[in-house]
Amino acid sequence: MTKKYLRMTLNERAQHLNLAINFTILVITGFALKYPEAFWVSPITDVPLGMTFRGFLHRLCGVATVTLGGYHLLYLAFTERGRGIVKDMIPVLKDAKDLWETLKNNFFINRPAKMIKMPRFNFREKLEYLGLIWGTIVMTVTGFILWFKTEWLMYFPMWTYDVARAVHFYEAILATLTIIVWHLYSVVWNPDVYPMSWAWITGDLTEHEMKLEHGLELEKIKAEEKGKLVEFGEAATVGGGRVYPLHREGEEKSFSIGRLFGTVKDLNEKIKNWKGE
Amino acid sequence: MKWREKGGKACVVLWGIILLFLFWGVTAGVAWSDNSLCMGCHQDENLAKQDARGRKLSLFVSEVGFKNSIHGKLSCQDCHTRIKDDAHAEGGKKAADKSVNCGACHKEADKEYQQGLHAKMIMKGTERAANCYNCHGKHNILPSKNPKSMTHVSNIDKTCNRCHSDVAFVKQHALGAAIPGEEFKKSVHGKTGEVTCTSCHGSHSLRSLIDPKSTIFRSNIPQTCGSCHPDITKQFTESIHGELAARGRADSPTCTTCHGIHGIKAKVDPDSPVNERRIAMTTCPQCHAAERISKEYGITKGYVQSYRDSFHGLSYRGGDTYSANCASCHGVHDIRPSSDPKSMIHKDNLQKTCGNCHPGASENFAKGKMHSVASISGEEFGEKVVGWVRIAYIILIVMVIGGLTFFNFTDWLRKTIDHRP
Repeated sequence: MTKKYLRMTLNERAQHLNLAINFTILVITGFALKYPEAFWVSPITDVPLGMTFRGFLHRLCGVATVTLGGYHLLYLAFTERGRGIVKDMIPVLKDAKDLWETLKNNFFINRPAKMIKMPRFNFREKLEYLGLIWGTIVMTVTGFILWFKTEWLMYFPMWTYDVARAVHFYEAILATLTIIVWHLYSVVWNPDVYPMSWAWITGDLTEHEMKLEHGLELEKIKAEEKGKLVEFGEAATVGGGRVYPLHREGEEKSFSIGRLFGTVKDLNEKIKNWKGE
Repeated sequence: MKWREKGGKACVVLWGIILLFLFWGVTAGVAWSDNSLCMGCHQDENLAKQDARGRKLSLFVSEVGFKNSIHGKLSCQDCHTRIKDDAHAEGGKKAADKSVNCGACHKEADKEYQQGLHAKMIMKGTERAANCYNCHGKHNILPSKNPKSMTHVSNIDKTCNRCHSDVAFVKQHALGAAIPGEEFKKSVHGKTGEVTCTSCHGSHSLRSLIDPKSTIFRSNIPQTCGSCHPDITKQFTESIHGELAARGRADSPTCTTCHGIHGIKAKVDPDSPVNERRIAMTTCPQCHAAERISKEYGITKGYVQSYRDSFHGLSYRGGDTYSANCASCHGVHDIRPSSDPKSMIHKDNLQKTCGNCHPGASENFAKGKMHSVASISGEEFGEKVVGWVRIAYIILIVMVIGGLTFFNFTDWLRKTIDHRP
């Protein structure tokens, strides 16, 4: 068993799954309103009160997403790991350099392609995360204006409502396309991870994956491990709180997500490492 | 008994008078209804002659049918004042030089009929244009109150539809593609059993659609419908549609424009043009999104388009019936222009109109343009702002998504080439 590096804790995976489901429902129920005659909307429009239920579901998932956002903020503020995420998420000059080098790789200027050592959150992930925060804020504000129009129009003129409607719609297009183009490429269509990165289910990355996407972080973890071994601190956790061995002895028989998906994952790795023999 | 003796003479006189009357009555009755001579021949069901075109014409008269008819006590000669062929030359009267003329007795009906469409068509030489007997029958005419009568309210549709639901006839006379009888049968009026063809078209005085005196002439339609729906007609005639219709505007709607003609359905029927699901989809847009009418009256098609793109319109298009349609804000029969202080969309009433669905609607609901169309060259500030937001976002989306896609494509290409075995 190759060593696994923790990417997402169970809590974070639950947050991710929650967001994924809510986001999908929001996209479907939202565009169902804008394109009521589209073929894929017929399951909603053919049912009595379908459109009313659509509106209810859209608001419900909106509230769920906002609540999740609030929870996420608390998580970032009040857990050590959360504060670490915030610190590592701040864009720095290194990200621009990484992007530049990646572009040079991709345009075959660096020949052979240079191995770029990227930090815990690489520039792709930082861009997406910050975009997600921006999008959530915009959608929340405009969404609540549209929902509570009577209250909003007590203080603001009608045209602000029209602007909110337009922004809510175009931001939705932007967000949906970003997820499809950017996020799904990162975790599905990227040839390094295809057919899928398992991190959102198992919560960990292999050393190979770490090397490709987060080389700097891998080095840092290894150095820390080494330091810990030298210092042999009694309370030191393996990997400075970042590395959790998944298959500890004695736990083999108990239920674990790793075991559940192990067979599929092994197959996945075999496909990936297949040399065409 | 003194009074008997006294009344003896009187009694004889009385009986005499009664007998006299009886005798007179019997003889007169026999004389007037002695049709046995005619019936002798015409009872034969096979009795027929050839008409001028060589077609077989039955001359059979059912005696029972005639006896039971309203004219049962008349003699044949009362109507058949002159029979022109050789067979009757000896016995026939020559007093009048006419065939059967109902108008001789039914003067009022005849006068009305002569002004009506059927009479005019006969004068033009149209075959199959209805004569008296086409609707009333010949020898077996029953009063229209008799349920068996051809002109009883429950039978009129059958009587008219003998011709007017005959596909060949309808086509030949260019009466439209739809068969009125079938349409009417399914209509809300047809189902009542109380309303029938003549309720709207009139009976003897039935006139052409283009005759200004006709009950179905464009500007008379509201009055025709108003004979049963007076309140609605009153509302309609005061509305902008009613006003324009009264001035003879051929484009302005009357009752039938929205409700349909023969096939009028209840508004809860999904097939009805005034069903809440169809008002804003087809019924109002049939004029308000029409090129010609929009140009003529200077009403932009933007009203319909902006409604369709608004939240109300989008949700409505998806089947939401809680969402406002045209009638929710503009009214139904009493639609008035926004300049009319009584209008639901007059600026003083708008807050109340919005408040019907949005309790606590503030005065900002009534400010600004309702049917706004986002455009940087729009008339109103809001339209311009939304227009610019739209452009900014489209540029942003194209740049961002385009950039991300391009980046990912190069990434994919490089990795795929690098992974080449």
